[in-house]
Amino acid sequence: MKRVLLVDDSLTVARQLQKIIEGSGDFVSVGHARNGAEAIKMNHSENPEIICMDMNMPGMDGLTALRSLMVIDKDVKVVMVTSLGGVGDKYTEAIKLGAKCVISKPFEAENVLKILREL
Amino acid sequence: MMAVKFFGQFLIENGIVTRENLLQAMELQERKNLKLGEMTLQLGYVSQVDITRAHNAQLSKDMRLGDLLVEMGMLSQEQLSDVITRQKNSHLFIGEALVLVNAMTSGQLQKQLEAFKADQSDFVSDVVELPVKVANNEIWQMAVDLTFKLITRILNIQFRSGKAHVVNVIPANFMIAAMDFSGDVEGCYMLSVNEKLQKTIAKAILREESVEDEPSEVLEDTVMEFVNIVCGNIAAKASQMGKIMEISPPTTIIPAENGIPVVEGHVVLCFPIHVGDYGKMELLIQIPN
Repeated sequence: MKRVLLVDDSLTVARQLQKIIEGSGDFVSVGHARNGAEAIKMNHSENPEIICMDMNMPGMDGLTALRSLMVIDKDVKVVMVTSLGGVGDKYTEAIKLGAKCVISKPFEAENVLKILREL
Repeated sequence: MMAVKFFGQFLIENGIVTRENLLQAMELQERKNLKLGEMTLQLGYVSQVDITRAHNAQLSKDMRLGDLLVEMGMLSQEQLSDVITRQKNSHLFIGEALVLVNAMTSGQLQKQLEAFKADQSDFVSDVVELPVKVANNEIWQMAVDLTFKLITRILNIQFRSGKAHVVNVIPANFMIAAMDFSGDVEGCYMLSVNEKLQKTIAKAILREESVEDEPSEVLEDTVMEFVNIVCGNIAAKASQMGKIMEISPPTTIIPAENGIPVVEGHVVLCFPIHVGDYGKMELLIQIPN
């Protein structure tokens, strides 16, 4: 099973994503970080294969964390899960920085799983 | 469930182009789409020294480069208009860039643009009247309309919108989830709900039959998450309309019994949303005057 780290300041989103990924049988959640700085720490301690990360978070935001993660860990695959996915500039910045995909909110469970399985 | 999307995102999601194709097309866009400074320089309107001086001045002044060049007397208003028109006319769009890097054909582009239009047709704005005229009127009209659409689609709530009005005091309620907008369009977006509606929203967002055992922190968070989704989609739609709207993380406000007086220099627009037996929620938008 692939190890997934969830990064979102919202408990609700973390819960939604955990339910989706663990219900699939293909993935296991290794933890929940509440901002970018926590994500970097937990990437080191939990060594996930995939990170699902929000963009808009207090403290260190998702794009700043993505920039650092891509330097620190070349193997980790980051998928942004955000309500800002449809903002062209944000979408393109995330892809340029190295995100594998940007999932817009509201999302469907099947769509999230399809994307994670294709990584 | 659909969201307001960017065309490149739509193409990737539908398997028309790859992430690598998009990256190539974006590189091409960056080379071809000259920035305002680059174009004024290329047209010989200003020198590199002028640009450097204006960039330095920008560090202490919150102004766009073009306006600053005009203010500093380095560029005339006519020249600035000319540059902006040229920028618009020569702009290479992402779809055209994808054709140029051979990721798709012109025929495919036309077909996909139509498919994209159909995909996004649910988000075409209906006109919502604002009680007073405000700065960026059309953006706020879109924001209200999109809120109504997403209440129906995400929360699956049937409602009737009441008469919009200006308020001097933000009315008391069980909770308000708020989000600040900055950038081209400034304001604070607030959704005020009673206890019953908070639970209705929580059920829809968590996709649970019952939320009776959920802690208040989780219930509040679900309303904030709904506001986050709506505001992100508003920002996406605004970017299609040429306006940049940055959002901050959502917050919860518990209003005092007498409500919250409106801060001086601001106007608050109130849009009542009547939900049958569940009572009323209100969309409130605070905009600087």
